[in-house]
Amino acid sequence: MAFVQNFPFLSIILSLFSGPLCAVLDGKWARRVNGAVIAIIGILSVFVLKNVIPAGQPYVYRMGHFSAPWGNEIRVGVLEAFMACFFCVIMLLCMMGGIRERETEIEESKQNLYYVMVNLLLCSLLALIYTNDLFTAYVFVEINTISACGLIMIRQTGRTFEAATRYMIMSLLGSGLLLLGICYLYAVTGHLLMSNIREQVQLLAAGGQHHISLMVALGLMSVGLAIKSALYPFHAWLPDAYGYSTLSSSAILSSLVSKGYIFLLIKIFCRVIGFDVVTESKVVNVLFVFGIIGMIMGSWSAIKEKNLRRMIAFSSVAQIGYIYMGLGLATEAGIVASIYHVLSHAATKSLLFVAASGLSDASGGSDRYADITGAGFRNKLAGTAFLVGSLSMVGMPMFSGFISKLFFAQAAVGHAHKMLPTVIALAISTILNAVYFMKTVIRIYTPMGAYDAVKGDGTGKADGIGKTDGTGKADGIGKTDGTGKADGIGKADGTGKADGIGKRDGTGKTDRAEENGAGSERSASDWQEVGRTGRQVVIWEQPAKSAALICFILLNLILGLNSDPIMRLIQGGIEMFD
Amino acid sequence: MDVWLLVPIALPVICGAVLLVSAFREQAVSDAGDSGTGAERENRVSAGLCAYVGAVLGISVALALAAAWTGDREAVLFTLLDAIPVYFRVDAVGRLFVTVVSVIWVLAALFAFVYMRHEGKEKRYFGFYLMLYGVLVAFDFSGNLVTMYLFYELTTLVSMPLVLHNGKRESVMAALKYLFYSLCGAYGGLFAIFFLYRYSHSLTFTAGGTLDMAAVQGHEGILLIAVFAALLGFGAKAGMAPLHAWLPTAHPVAPSPASAVLSGVIVKSGVLAVVRVVFYIVGADFLRGTWVQQTWMALALLTVFMGSMLAYRERVFKKRLAYSTVSQVSYIMFGLSLLTADGFTGAMLHVAVHAVVKCGLFLTAGVFVYYFNYTRVEELVGIGKRMPKMLWCYLLLSLALVGIPPTGGFVSKWYLAQGALQSDMGVFAWLGPVVLLVSALLTAGYLLPVAMKGFFPGDAAAADSGAGNHGAAAVAANEVGEPTKGTKTGSGTKASHEWEMSGKEEPPLAIRADGREEAFPAAKADCRKEPAFAMLLPLVILAALAVLAGVFPGALIQYASEIAASVL
Repeated sequence: MAFVQNFPFLSIILSLFSGPLCAVLDGKWARRVNGAVIAIIGILSVFVLKNVIPAGQPYVYRMGHFSAPWGNEIRVGVLEAFMACFFCVIMLLCMMGGIRERETEIEESKQNLYYVMVNLLLCSLLALIYTNDLFTAYVFVEINTISACGLIMIRQTGRTFEAATRYMIMSLLGSGLLLLGICYLYAVTGHLLMSNIREQVQLLAAGGQHHISLMVALGLMSVGLAIKSALYPFHAWLPDAYGYSTLSSSAILSSLVSKGYIFLLIKIFCRVIGFDVVTESKVVNVLFVFGIIGMIMGSWSAIKEKNLRRMIAFSSVAQIGYIYMGLGLATEAGIVASIYHVLSHAATKSLLFVAASGLSDASGGSDRYADITGAGFRNKLAGTAFLVGSLSMVGMPMFSGFISKLFFAQAAVGHAHKMLPTVIALAISTILNAVYFMKTVIRIYTPMGAYDAVKGDGTGKADGIGKTDGTGKADGIGKTDGTGKADGIGKADGTGKADGIGKRDGTGKTDRAEENGAGSERSASDWQEVGRTGRQVVIWEQPAKSAALICFILLNLILGLNSDPIMRLIQGGIEMFD
Repeated sequence: MDVWLLVPIALPVICGAVLLVSAFREQAVSDAGDSGTGAERENRVSAGLCAYVGAVLGISVALALAAAWTGDREAVLFTLLDAIPVYFRVDAVGRLFVTVVSVIWVLAALFAFVYMRHEGKEKRYFGFYLMLYGVLVAFDFSGNLVTMYLFYELTTLVSMPLVLHNGKRESVMAALKYLFYSLCGAYGGLFAIFFLYRYSHSLTFTAGGTLDMAAVQGHEGILLIAVFAALLGFGAKAGMAPLHAWLPTAHPVAPSPASAVLSGVIVKSGVLAVVRVVFYIVGADFLRGTWVQQTWMALALLTVFMGSMLAYRERVFKKRLAYSTVSQVSYIMFGLSLLTADGFTGAMLHVAVHAVVKCGLFLTAGVFVYYFNYTRVEELVGIGKRMPKMLWCYLLLSLALVGIPPTGGFVSKWYLAQGALQSDMGVFAWLGPVVLLVSALLTAGYLLPVAMKGFFPGDAAAADSGAGNHGAAAVAANEVGEPTKGTKTGSGTKASHEWEMSGKEEPPLAIRADGREEAFPAAKADCRKEPAFAMLLPLVILAALAVLAGVFPGALIQYASEIAASVL
């Protein structure tokens, strides 16, 4: 056994023990240790990946060399190694992007505890990716839940307590269902190791025994993990948790935590139950339907949302809907598309979160939609990054989102029953995505000078605009036309020269007055105040965040332009599942 | 890999982006928005910007035309997926479109050098203007469907800032409307691409289509639906019903040179997309005689008629022109939907003719806005007295659009009608030409009165001064759009004579309902007889082109019919 083969186990252990280590360090050192650990694990994963690809087959790492019924195993294939590596990259970038927010939003004395949680989270994600044991998976699912709760509520505001409580309740419900499912499976098959369960399930399925029990187990586990990854009807905890926690928590939660559960579900589908059994079951259809509903409802909620970060969070609901839709297709192409979307969504969503925080940096720290007017000019890098993320989400070619949409569509075209619903859902959801992302992009690239014109709900203002633009004028002339000559003359008389000039001067004056902020009704609204405190943010003001943004943009472009090798990697990895 | 194909794409995009992020500052505009006319400010956009844009555009256009007309080039930029490279290739259709785009682009830029002083924010305008040129060239050179889709989307995104240029609420809303129509449409196209990817040999454009008939066997129904979705979707950009509504919203708010290129060129990208899908991927034979062809044809004819009617009763000048675009581009769609050689030839001819004419007409509208802030038809009464040369250009362009020989419009419409009569489409074979004729009449009805009233304002303008003058002008306004009466002619000349006699103290002003004409000092201090040279020159060239295309159509017809022969 090559030394490299120890690396997966080493990386799990490393992240596990660096957690307690961070607890005794002060905040600054904990941060360094944490960054180093993530980087080291990422590098280790690259070595593992390099080792596994030429081998062409996965290997099983038995801990302590205990064999099957008692031993605990790690199984390393191409896809596992690649996911571990990718997760490390994303996590490192998220941590880089959120440094300043953590310093300002978390109490000084609790800084180091944040890194404890992050290390534990990384440990549990790695374990979920690598483990070959269903019960170990459950244990790390719980660790994952707890550390995620910590990440949410460490920014101590009332909102985050509420969000964390909600998240805890929903997550525990999910874990409970998962545990029940595992128990069922254990009762039916008598094993906890994935490969052993698989053999047993194949036997049972071939003989037609315990059909209902298997379906129940599959259903329980699917629903449990669906709750934890915020599939549509179970998404209520998500917007608060993502919207109010500190930046790196939001980014990590949305791009990694839910993806870890989804990866576990894919493993359960492919490696525990077996793909043919899953395909026969109705569970996939349920996931498919809820995936589609999620795609549409998530976008719909995002359209209505007025807070930038909550909008992005709701968009996550929609994107997770995509992933479940792909799983629900129950074909290999569908699963590949889902995994690709896991990657592209992880890269894009964390990019959007970091970019959004860059935009609110330039807008007096506000997330509110109205405040970020023109923020793209004040913080150019964040604006560009948000543009890239939005285009990717909308499905612009050259960015990652387009490729995953293409894969979904390819997987759907030719599918017996699910072709039309999938393609139509993709259509509607693309358009809805375009609605809220493009709206935001236009908003951040609207110069401050024009805000009054763009502001939609300014009632008094709308009148003024109508006057200057002459939309009302059209009516007037239409009237003269309609009523005939005499009327026309009468009206023309009415609008003499002096009148006109007087009116014009008046409007000019009020305009200027309003621009000075003297207009009482408008200076009262706080969005304008914040707009005034908006400031220029240059790239080197927060070098870590800027670097993270640039890396995210590059990652997005790589996923969008160079999808073939990644695609082949995923396909190879899925073949190795068997 | 042919670098010379990539340079004319990359150069304007990069230079445009550089301009956008550069520290170049426009001269401060004293009062942003539409409150003043350009003439009272400085007359030109700052010379440095002009030189930069002019140089970049000149080089790009020269390179693009050189790349287009010197042999069949191809280049793979990179590979998106295994079977889908981003791939450029020059072919006959692309050549035609690139040439049209380049000509229009140079002329509209020349016009904009003066005009954009009126709108302000020239840097942003010209930055996106340059980028858009590169994107359009890439779009025209696209060698496969996914590349085309990519640049179709980019065209939408890059042209959107031109629409929302003045940043007012209406403009932003109009831009959003444009965006959503285009994106929804593009998704219709993408929907078709998903299916075509599966049912065709390749997505590379091949004259005559690449459909894999063995794979299609048994799936004709769904494929027809997909093609129809593409037609509707890409038709959105071409202003074909039912997704035409963005055009009349977007045009009035955009700066005039932007409307000119939007209407003259960008709308044609929808046409090119349809040509590519129907004639280069699906193949005309697959659609011939199906419900898709019939529905397509019916929609095109409906749009032709409806667009003309709406234009006829529209009073805002640019909106009228926008409806006219809706109608005229559907002439092209109708020609394509015939799936006959003559119809296709006519469509290609009309692409060129309409681009030239509509660009010219919108530039005319720009002149009115720039010098007088006139946006409505009834304000244009008597305009020919002040700008006779410009109104002559307008007249020639209008005649070309109506299709009066010997102008370009006549030739293209001739071929469209021929194509319709030759096709065996039953009722459409005679209904098509009839609708085209009726629409041509309506076109005359909504374009020519502007010129007539412009030259011959009628006795209304003869009234001397004050409110009476305004009232009379309003009366005259009521009659715009009606066929001229013999009696008007004499009195019109008299009126103009009187005006010239009385000096410049009170030019025959038209009325705006809210009495805002006093806000246009330009009209009062109206010393100049013609627009600035840089504004007039493009108009003259465009008018000359529109006429010359009808006088010497031989080469163009031959070129178009060669394309038609290759794809059918």
